[in-house]
Amino acid sequence: MRVISKSLNILDYALSLLVRQKLKNLGVFIVFTAVIFLLASFQLFSTALKESAARILTTVPHITVQKMSAGRQIPYNVDYDELLRGIFGIATVKERVWGYYFDEKNGANYTVVGLDQHHISPRLAEVLSWGGLPQRRGDVVIAEPVQESMQLGSRERFSLFRPDLTMKSFKVVGRFSRGSSLVTDDILLMTRQDAADLFAMDQSFITDLLVDVANPTEIDTIAAKISARLPGARVITQNQIHKTYNVVFSWRSGFGSICLLTSLFAFIILSWDKASGMSPEERREMAILKVTGWQTSDIMWLRFCESSVIAFTAFVGGYSLAWLHIVFFDGVLLRPVLLGWSVIRPSFQLAPPFVLHDFLLIAAFSIIPYMVATIVPAWKSAMVRPDSVM
Amino acid sequence: MRKSLFFFSGIALLLLGDFFLFFTLRHKQMDLAANIGDMRLVVQELGLSDLALTTEARYTRHPAVSDPVSPFMDHPGDIEHFPSGSFLRPVK
Repeated sequence: MRVISKSLNILDYALSLLVRQKLKNLGVFIVFTAVIFLLASFQLFSTALKESAARILTTVPHITVQKMSAGRQIPYNVDYDELLRGIFGIATVKERVWGYYFDEKNGANYTVVGLDQHHISPRLAEVLSWGGLPQRRGDVVIAEPVQESMQLGSRERFSLFRPDLTMKSFKVVGRFSRGSSLVTDDILLMTRQDAADLFAMDQSFITDLLVDVANPTEIDTIAAKISARLPGARVITQNQIHKTYNVVFSWRSGFGSICLLTSLFAFIILSWDKASGMSPEERREMAILKVTGWQTSDIMWLRFCESSVIAFTAFVGGYSLAWLHIVFFDGVLLRPVLLGWSVIRPSFQLAPPFVLHDFLLIAAFSIIPYMVATIVPAWKSAMVRPDSVM
Repeated sequence: MRKSLFFFSGIALLLLGDFFLFFTLRHKQMDLAANIGDMRLVVQELGLSDLALTTEARYTRHPAVSDPVSPFMDHPGDIEHFPSGSFLRPVK
């Protein structure tokens, strides 16, 4: 009980000291909070995106086969019956024409997906908020942001340019629901023939072959066999796609590095400020405390309390603000960096899970350096000899 | 009122706010989980490889299937200039 009472008294005194130099301490607190807010916001933003990818992309094709030439993906013509003959364990194969369409009228990039009519599953109708699936040539399913970007209004027909600048007409027959916006916001779904026509490709050409295998443990073996049979092919497995999303949002990205470096410099400045020594007033005050009976350990405890109050309050404040930023405002400050100059701006929502090691990482990056930086000054102030000051 | 009591009250208020935030988060997670099935279906049926997070550059729209020469795709020596490229770490 006496120890608690003594500690509370020291804490009271530490708070009085902080209030006495409120401008300086407020400055340190604001910078510290902002740094933790930035670090935690980036961490939560990337965790939310990684989590979404991990939960949604569980159904990506087991194997995607593309053809590469001079480091770029190119369309190719393949007889997949011939290619896959003798490879056992393949469940389904889909041919697809997939690519980007740059709309010069509004600067938007659309993702065009063309599938054979018999491969457009009727189940997809479940994710449409309006209309049906492409049934014939010229039919297209789009998402609401595409419709807004094209300023279609209630019109159902629009045209896109082929590479030779001739027009190709489409009729909107369906619209993806907002619920699937995280994967469909820029997609134009049409028949494979239409997609090939739009890109002026030979009708027999495809951009990828989507292969699903019966036994997922055989994916790598089958992928290796396909790769050996199709020279210059890029064979991407489901596992590789999952790994991509685990590494793509990390501290080693440019923006992540900036967050880390900013916090590092902020801590260096704080440490420098703390280590640069005490003012004559502070030394005098410590000397008076010693004369009045304070022990060295009491003064070190006092200094520890001062640092802890700033570090702990800034950590709780900055970390809470980061959660508020991500949960309530969907990362409104970081979103413009990710969206960049996108004309179609996907409306994803963020709800990261609470991950203990992320929490500890942020705590370790923020509280520990500050506390360590204050140890030496605390020890120095505790070692002040009263007769040298007074 | 003791200053330490004032300090602890402030921290308690912040933590109470966090508690409220946690419930809001849970509610939002459940709302988003309701759409996961739809998105998985689209991914499966269309064979999609990526999330539509940004649409400004090919290699940030589809990082999982981007070309190895992407940063120089427009002009030789044309270094990365899209803002979203700063958010995503290059895929090896």
